[in-house]
Amino acid sequence: MLTPLYKLRATIDGCPYCFTGDKMAEKIMVLGVGNILYSDDGFGIRVVEKLESEQIFPDNVTVVDGGVLGVNLLGVISGADRLIVVDTILNHGKPGDIHRLEGDAIPNRILGKNSMHQVDLLEALSLCRLMGSVPQTVIIGVEPQDIETLNPELTPAIARQVDIVAKMVIQELDKLALKTL
Amino acid sequence: MGNRITIDPITRIEGHLKIEVEVENGKVKDAWCSGQMFRGIEIMLKGRDPRDAHHFVQRSCGVCTYVHALSSVRAVEDACKITIPDNARLVRNLIHGAQFQHDHIVHFYHLHALDWVDIVSALSADPKKAEALSANTSGRPQKSDYFKSVQDKLKAFVGSGQLGPFNNGYWGHSAYKLPPEANLMATSHYLEALQLQAKAAKMHAIFGGKNPHPQFLVVGGVTSVGDLTVERIKEFEDIWKETKDFVDNVYLPDLLAVASFYKDWGAIGGNNSSFLCYGDFANDSAEKNKLMPSGFIRNKMPVEEMTTDKVTEDVTKGWYEKGDAKHPFQGETKPIQGEVTYNTDKQYTWLKAPRYDGLAAEVGPLARVLVAYGKNAPGVQALVDSTLKKLGVGVEALFSTLGRTAARGLETKIIGDSMGGWLESLKANIAKGDKKTYQSWTMPKTGKGFGLNDVPRGALGHWIEIADGKIKNYQYVVPSTWNFGPADAKGNKGPVEKALIGTPIADASKPLEVLRTIHSYDPCIACAVHVIDPHTNETYKVSVI
Repeated sequence: MLTPLYKLRATIDGCPYCFTGDKMAEKIMVLGVGNILYSDDGFGIRVVEKLESEQIFPDNVTVVDGGVLGVNLLGVISGADRLIVVDTILNHGKPGDIHRLEGDAIPNRILGKNSMHQVDLLEALSLCRLMGSVPQTVIIGVEPQDIETLNPELTPAIARQVDIVAKMVIQELDKLALKTL
Repeated sequence: MGNRITIDPITRIEGHLKIEVEVENGKVKDAWCSGQMFRGIEIMLKGRDPRDAHHFVQRSCGVCTYVHALSSVRAVEDACKITIPDNARLVRNLIHGAQFQHDHIVHFYHLHALDWVDIVSALSADPKKAEALSANTSGRPQKSDYFKSVQDKLKAFVGSGQLGPFNNGYWGHSAYKLPPEANLMATSHYLEALQLQAKAAKMHAIFGGKNPHPQFLVVGGVTSVGDLTVERIKEFEDIWKETKDFVDNVYLPDLLAVASFYKDWGAIGGNNSSFLCYGDFANDSAEKNKLMPSGFIRNKMPVEEMTTDKVTEDVTKGWYEKGDAKHPFQGETKPIQGEVTYNTDKQYTWLKAPRYDGLAAEVGPLARVLVAYGKNAPGVQALVDSTLKKLGVGVEALFSTLGRTAARGLETKIIGDSMGGWLESLKANIAKGDKKTYQSWTMPKTGKGFGLNDVPRGALGHWIEIADGKIKNYQYVVPSTWNFGPADAKGNKGPVEKALIGTPIADASKPLEVLRTIHSYDPCIACAVHVIDPHTNETYKVSVI
């Protein structure tokens, strides 16, 4: 189980950490992307599934299973002030390595990646810019072992990282929560 | 031999498409479509619980999640002989209708418009002239200040160097025919459509529970019980009305305005004469009467009734073990072992070649509008005829790239307008206390069934065979396979391969004209163009939106 902090935040009235009901709160979106049919490519989806099943988030945090929708995710992400993306990232590392990309690092690091939904996501972000509302984005990802085999299960080495990355997402949310207080 | 232009795959989602055309004397002489990824999901489904199939199939395409889930659920309902409640039919129609509104608007403005609209030219437009053009063409005329502000925004965006979707466009290409003001008007609406589509996508989330992967579908109906309230329906209705207003006053007027400069495209990209529709949007629980009717058009003859018994898949040109053309119930997915070799004279694709009664058939908006027109579906002939009249073109112009793009806009209106009636029926059912959304059922030992669906890109069918309560065989034939499939045993080419032949090419290093026809079929992929010129040994690489 992950920290139950968010359950408390969502339910306790008057809790200083609780931003439910605060209409001015930043809209934060946790977005998992990838294809669950291709083994480790489903990593991002498995992380958001875990988060959704174990946590209750406050109203201003939305957790989205983005699948491989690419540019069609625009409608989903354009309303967010902050975006936390969970995905697989090919970054010349060993399978299981965890990468965190932010700000200027995002386009340069991701363009070299052999994954279309990632490029589409960037395109969606650039369309957000055109609409005048780009969410501040962090991408957390794992270096995959196998994204070619048609298999709905993660490889064992990557499956072990689901808990760790889910915790990292919670930590990102914690940081944002402190900023808004 | 002329130049060969290759459009390479770069996506791992279904589609993974490569298109090669041979250009001679400024025209496409021959064309080949190749699916570059093996889709083995049918193999993965064997032995699973039929109720779980839709969770897997909705992941097989990056764009069409709901429609695969719907076909899958319908196939199991057919195999298990389940009739869904009226409310389930209405909710499914509404979500499916919302999908058409969203997808077709996105296709026209964000996936296809830039084949016709030159963004860079819009920078030099006179906003006052754009105002005059808007007053003449738009259902929602806009002022010069508005066009000036869009132009400034565009300049800033281009100036930032972060071109994103406008990167690598063929700006300034001689095949762009719009005056700068029309380019500016269309670009303004490109931006408006971005905002609108973000809203339209929310219709899915209202009854769908979750977007982009709706979770409300179950074998036997839908689970949206909690959403059948006056407030939730009103929420849906408000977005629907706003979308409908955009379609009537912006999308269709833009379509006409742009098309009026490209009437020559009413004679390009339309070499196909056979069209197939499964039909969709049932108006009654027995699913006999559909808003978009089913039918088959053979060689431009009057519409015939369609039966799925005549659907087969041929694997002659695919990377599969040799075998006769088979109906999906007998369908096999047996890839050849080892490395595959791309050879347009032998085997060149992972796509099978679907045939109807032995004929290659185009599926999608043009097929649906032609069949609805031929069967005199309510309102369709009047809408099509008035559109042709406004453009000053004859009925033959429908059989073209322009006709295909126009048909997409027209059916957006036909389907969007009908959504109001489904909303009223849903409200009436709830008012009289009928909130049933699910029909309980039991899994039979054995069963066979299919689920048909006409989705934004065309006719989609899933076939299932159940034995011992598990999936024994599962096959699906998707719209892109119909349209982008290869030649068959008799050497007859697939619809897109045929459609491309004869396309004029002004500049082989910038094959904008080829992209117009490819994009008019709405393939759910992004492409990179890779051009090889065997005479000069020059290689051009151009990314394409």
